[in-house]
Amino acid sequence: MRFNKNKIFNIIVYIISFLFFIALILLLSGIFFQTSPGLFIKELENVNLWNSIFLSFKISFIVILINLIIGIPIAYILSFHNSKISFILDSVSNLPLTTSPLVIGFAVLITMGPLNPVGKLFIDNGIKFVFTPQGIVLVQLIISFPFFVNIVKTSFDSINRNIIDLSKTLGADSFDILSKIILPLSYNGIMAGLAISWSRSMGEYAATQMISGVIPNVTETAPIEVFVKTSYGNYPAAIAIAGILMLVSMFSLGVFKYFSYKMKPK
Amino acid sequence: MKLLEIKNIYKNFSNKKVLHGINLDIENGEISSIFGYSGEGKSTLLKIICGIIKQDSGDIVLNEKNINNLEPYERSTTLVMDEPLLFPHMNVLENIAFGSKLRANKKRHTTSNKKALESPKEIMGLLGITGLEKRYPSEISMGQAQRVSLARALIVNPEIILMDEPFSNLDIISKTKVRKLIKEINCELKISILLVTHDIEDVINLSNKMFILNKGEIKDSGRPKDVLKKPSSIETAFLIGTENIFDGIISEIDKKNNIVKIRLKNEKPENIYIEADYYGTFKVNERIVFAIRPEEVMILREDRGASRSVRENHFTGKIISSVFTLRMMEILIKSESGLEFKALIPFHAYEVMHLFEGKTINISLKKSAIHIIEKKKR
Ligand SMILES: Nc1ncnc2c1ncn2[C@@H]1O[C@H](COP(=O)(O)OP(=O)(O)OP(=O)(O)O)[C@@H](O)[C@H]1O
Ligand SMILES: [Mg+2]
Repeated sequence: MRFNKNKIFNIIVYIISFLFFIALILLLSGIFFQTSPGLFIKELENVNLWNSIFLSFKISFIVILINLIIGIPIAYILSFHNSKISFILDSVSNLPLTTSPLVIGFAVLITMGPLNPVGKLFIDNGIKFVFTPQGIVLVQLIISFPFFVNIVKTSFDSINRNIIDLSKTLGADSFDILSKIILPLSYNGIMAGLAISWSRSMGEYAATQMISGVIPNVTETAPIEVFVKTSYGNYPAAIAIAGILMLVSMFSLGVFKYFSYKMKPK
Repeated sequence: MKLLEIKNIYKNFSNKKVLHGINLDIENGEISSIFGYSGEGKSTLLKIICGIIKQDSGDIVLNEKNINNLEPYERSTTLVMDEPLLFPHMNVLENIAFGSKLRANKKRHTTSNKKALESPKEIMGLLGITGLEKRYPSEISMGQAQRVSLARALIVNPEIILMDEPFSNLDIISKTKVRKLIKEINCELKISILLVTHDIEDVINLSNKMFILNKGEIKDSGRPKDVLKKPSSIETAFLIGTENIFDGIISEIDKKNNIVKIRLKNEKPENIYIEADYYGTFKVNERIVFAIRPEEVMILREDRGASRSVRENHFTGKIISSVFTLRMMEILIKSESGLEFKALIPFHAYEVMHLFEGKTINISLKKSAIHIIEKKKR
């Protein structure tokens, strides 16, 4: 076999990717080798563990619902309206992607605290964000919605503008166009967006920790529980939760890949 | 009755002047066509009429009602583009029924004498696409898709259908079919159509009235036959493919006999004159161009000699080339004085007259067939 430059190129590209792939698998699956099946199953009987996992599910479900409600209008403006407003909106909505989650959590903690006029207004009206599940919803929303909006926008962008224009002349107003054309054509993109923002919200730790106050059974989400258990030295419990979280993310990755594959035009 | 009036429409795209004071009227129940070079703003004009883009200034009046400020869905003008643009997530039947289910069309009732089509089935029958109901757009041919697109536009009973080069992506057979359909729809439903095309054949075959859009303005308008015969400017003449265009100077005007004598520009020292019917406002010594359509160049039969009726404007020349085109022989004749005429004659006439390349023949140009075009003054 003769080695030409193209072959050497391929070999290098594959070796680097493959080595990294092996390392990643070993790193992530490590937690499953640290425990025995018996110990794992015993930990699964712990009520605290399930409480934290259910809390995470509940919060992330609310987060994606809100994402759906606010994300679609934002993606609509970003994709269909070319103006200064959409440019500003685009930058602002992507800001959470480049900001440290810890800083986001901290900012919400300060803003919603009793010393800040905004926080005071809410607190006076009986709505508390600090150390409450709704506070967690708020920070996870901030962190996950750019993922949702970006995917939905890409999906909106791929819709043929002439089809939209033509449907206007057939008598479709903006409501008709959104409900009968844009949304059905972006179904896959929206599902993929929901999957990715859901898994982002399920796994969020830093910002959540800032606002949660770590109250067992009330604001202790699954990722926080992993940290708490680890700091007590209760590795079997931490491993059990981490294992479940990993299965959950594999599932949502599967959902995401399925829909984002279908989203690609054939 | 005037259906649609376009009044003084101006449109620029970021400093690029596109439409430059467009005025045109469209009669109810007719097929009108807009003809022009690529990039002249034909599509832009259609989009302005149906409200997809806004004009910078000017008015659009439909049924004597100014529709400038109406949203596209309120206008009763539907658009059919060069691509079918079917909704990919709906089957053929759902695509066609799309408009009929919308609120905007439920309360619409037609004012004119158009026959309203209500059921998708009826329209599908008319357009010859029955049986495709359950298919998806990816499962039908381009020609079928374009007919579905037409059906989808028809079901909302628009006042006018705007068609932007609806045949340009079709093969010859589908093109012929769709052309015929458009004519039939117009006859049966009395629906008005504004057709944009850059195929002059479509203009001639389909339309009652044509408009020539050039440099942002409507340069010529009228029945296609008239416009084709008598283009008002050299630009229009070139645009519609007028051949046999010559330069000349008006040398004599005989108002009594209605004859104008034109001196031809040519290489030879002696003057060559040509006579034409006098009309218009030409003056002696004015520089003009004139044109004669290739099918009006008459080749004289040797056996008969020149009869009285074809005594006009005689030339002797040699056939320098003859090409067999779709239906006719296209021959190029070079006269002794160096002028080149193109002539179109039926194939059988070519054979009967024993014509061949290199043969010397006589031709005659009827006075009435000569169309004088005023030269643009600088
Ligand atoms: N949205 C737009 N923004 C900027 N320029 C545009 C836009 N739409 C059209 N134009 C320009 O306006 C001119 C007219 O375009 P238009 O599509 O109306 O021409 P057309 O006569 O339909 O051409 P064709 O026969 O090729 O379809 C073109 O020069 C085009 O580049
Ligand atoms: Mg065009």
